[in-house]
Amino acid sequence: MKAFFSFQTLVLVGCSLFVLYLAGIPLLMLLYGSFRSAPIGEPGAAYTIQNYVKAYFDREFYFLFWNSLKYAVGTCAISFLIGTYLAWINERTNTPLKKLFMVMSLIPFIIPGILSTIAWILLLSPKIGLINLAVKGLLGLESAPFNIYSMGGMVWAEGIHLYPLVFLLMSAAFRNMDTSLEEAALTAGSSTFTTFRKVTLPLMRPAMFGVLLIMFVRGIEAFEVPALVGVPAKISVFTTKIFLAIHQFPSDFGLAGAYAVTLLVISTVGVLIYQRITRGEERYATVTGKGYRPRVIDLGLWKYVTCASAFLIFFLAVVLPVFILLWSSFIPYYGVPSAELMAKLTLANYKYILNYPLALTAFKNSFYLSVGSATLVMLLTSVIAWITVKSKLPGRIFLDNLAFIPIAMPGIVLGVSLIWVYLTLPIPIYGTIWVLLLAYITKFMPYGIRTASASMIQINKELEEASLTSGGTWFQTFRKVLLPLLMPGFVAGWIYISIISLRELSTSILLYSYNSTVLSIMAFDLWEGGQYTYVCALGVLMVLLLVAMAYTARRLGARLGIQA
Amino acid sequence: MVQIESLEKYFGEDKERVHVLKGISLNIPEGSLYTFLGPSGCGKTTTLRCVAGLERPERGKIAIDGNPVFASGERVYVPTNKRPIGMVFQSYAIWPHMTVFQNVAYPLTIHRRPKSEIKKRVEDVLRIVGLHGLEDRPAPKLSGGQQQRVAFARALVNEPKVLLLDEPLSNLDAKLRVQMRFEIKALQRRINITTIFVTHDQSEALAISDQIAVMHAGKLIEVGTPHQLYSRPTRKFTATFLGLTNLIEGKVIEMGGDSKPGRIETKKGILSFIPATSLGRNQAAVISIRPEHIPVHKEKPQGLDNVVEGTVKEAIFMGDAYHCQIAVGDMLLAVHTHPFLNMSPGEKVYLYLDPQSCNGLPAEPRIRKEWMKP
Repeated sequence: MKAFFSFQTLVLVGCSLFVLYLAGIPLLMLLYGSFRSAPIGEPGAAYTIQNYVKAYFDREFYFLFWNSLKYAVGTCAISFLIGTYLAWINERTNTPLKKLFMVMSLIPFIIPGILSTIAWILLLSPKIGLINLAVKGLLGLESAPFNIYSMGGMVWAEGIHLYPLVFLLMSAAFRNMDTSLEEAALTAGSSTFTTFRKVTLPLMRPAMFGVLLIMFVRGIEAFEVPALVGVPAKISVFTTKIFLAIHQFPSDFGLAGAYAVTLLVISTVGVLIYQRITRGEERYATVTGKGYRPRVIDLGLWKYVTCASAFLIFFLAVVLPVFILLWSSFIPYYGVPSAELMAKLTLANYKYILNYPLALTAFKNSFYLSVGSATLVMLLTSVIAWITVKSKLPGRIFLDNLAFIPIAMPGIVLGVSLIWVYLTLPIPIYGTIWVLLLAYITKFMPYGIRTASASMIQINKELEEASLTSGGTWFQTFRKVLLPLLMPGFVAGWIYISIISLRELSTSILLYSYNSTVLSIMAFDLWEGGQYTYVCALGVLMVLLLVAMAYTARRLGARLGIQA
Repeated sequence: MVQIESLEKYFGEDKERVHVLKGISLNIPEGSLYTFLGPSGCGKTTTLRCVAGLERPERGKIAIDGNPVFASGERVYVPTNKRPIGMVFQSYAIWPHMTVFQNVAYPLTIHRRPKSEIKKRVEDVLRIVGLHGLEDRPAPKLSGGQQQRVAFARALVNEPKVLLLDEPLSNLDAKLRVQMRFEIKALQRRINITTIFVTHDQSEALAISDQIAVMHAGKLIEVGTPHQLYSRPTRKFTATFLGLTNLIEGKVIEMGGDSKPGRIETKKGILSFIPATSLGRNQAAVISIRPEHIPVHKEKPQGLDNVVEGTVKEAIFMGDAYHCQIAVGDMLLAVHTHPFLNMSPGEKVYLYLDPQSCNGLPAEPRIRKEWMKP
């Protein structure tokens, strides 16, 4: 397999170089910038370590560090526990009504971060929060019981917003597991719970660790909640600090770079740990050529408990936020639900949005960018995952690290580095939709690579070798055997990336121009203008678009891949 | 059909480098069922994977049907998908996202054959392996035995020159395994395809093969028909690995010749034996004699050489034989006797070590187990 013929070489080298370009160039610009006393192009700029001295010798740095860690670990824990629990119920138990779970979990998942943050502000704000008002009235309390403007409130808003990702990824992992391994434990006399603990959990470890890693980094690079809730509450984390460093006047690009480099170091450590743990590829090859059928655990009466708990989660994560957004989108001015406002329900907000001058452009751009970046990222990362997981090519670990680098780049920093890159390099795409496409591919590549390699790890090598000995070329093998087997993971990754592309804000906000406006920018502009009701109407339309896309992707994936 | 010349292969890098093939040379005749037999880690699967092109050796030559597919000197390396082979994997590697038909048709669709031809050839090959009528069944809905048949059909459908079988029976239950031995043998004979069969199971190898190459620690020990290797092994490893045997150490006194047996001095006295040609006078040797080749007498037989006296320690009735352990001095010999000969522990017996059954082999030092590392 070490001998290449032209096409394979072309694909492998091409994809590797593309990754190198996407991840490497912004990284170089970031590192370079963090050692410069002034931005590129400004006169008098020189090399300096002043930015790092300023960052690390500031007492505030350690508060920031502690806050970011608390925030990331908190959101990671909340989202992981809820998501894994629901995934397990959904894939592996006989809980009633579980067919609804996937759909219901997709609903909060596709609510853009900015909208979910607004919804939680509208629910948990001490003054106007619906939940606060209701509980206060119900128990006759003096003051509001909950406060969104606190670390706990922020962690909750982020965690409940992020758990559907865990649910999707863990569902795919549970689905792909060879359940005869569990049956072996059951027949060895261990109970359902012991089997889960001693067999299922260890087998799921690479997938789980990958998911945890993703959630931690998502927490640490989260922008919307810290910006909309943390800034007014004066709770700073790394991302908001970087954002403020750039948005202050004059901008401190160097300091922002020094903070970003710190984040990069944290995530690199994470990757190295991840790779150490998942090194034994064969040990975890849980999809083999032998037939596998999912086995469902009979929970007995407990199935009603799991069902009720799932619906409680959905009520909190779906029903309440969606209700408050829908409500706000149909009222002429903001207010909590009342009979007086009920009488004034109107479609005016929607009419306003649809007649908004840039609305059509924004919808089109967002749609193309989201479909394009999701497809390209998953194809690219499937090839890269093959190189890093299945091949023995030199430099594959470097490639894996490289593709993962953008995860450490907060959106806002990626935006700044890309401005520098495309103002410096003679590639005339600055200000067009293409620079946004490249930015999205760069930014979402790490999520693609995690999903693709988690799925790739689970495919037994012999399935691939059987195609080679049947006369298939590398490319035919990839297309006809690997891609269909990867399909559950591919679709999960595709859905996720298309959705986060559509709501991407922190990078786009630095790279868009009039003709390349996207929906999230439009929402941000309306929010800045204090037009809550318009934002909510736009949000509802975005969500409808996302639902249509996710539904189509799942149908398509089910047709192409293995239906377990 | 397949020529392998001085194949050398290493696994791992730098310090963890392991020498897994130490100069393997073989010539596999056309139309034969040729078995690589050896304990796990001996290099048999690696050799097979080198023939398939799934591993690339460091040195040596491989030719299939006269065409070199690998030659380290001339930098020849034909990739797996361009070699005229079909392979059945240990796990069968049936693609779970395809039906039986799609799995079997794959080698043909890859080569863009016309639809009608694909349909006909898949039907034909499914009939041969006995799966006719299951074309549309999804792969995960197949039993182990059916999956194996699909794997065979897929390997055969494009009429390869060589069929490679990587322990194809190890995933089946015992009864099916024995049945499939016959089927594989019959199938191979019917289509007369050159077949390389890898196994660690000696009874499987004996049952199925035209020729067996015994391998150990990355080296070829010896090649022969099952009959030759079983009854006239020339190496101690072969004698002990294939079936059960008794070893008696000694020193060659006389090599004999023509129809005259040689003579060897052992702790049990001077015995007659058939020496391997590699032996010489005064050399240390072992006699290998199979348990079923030792007649037991209750009275001391008259006029026979090579008779030793022993005591029955244990006799287990197996239905078709008694399996006995008989103490001869400080040595225990395994002896299989006729079930009608009533044996009871403590009984005194006489064993006739027929010189024709006493194979004299070079007394090789024990091979150290460092090769055990995968």
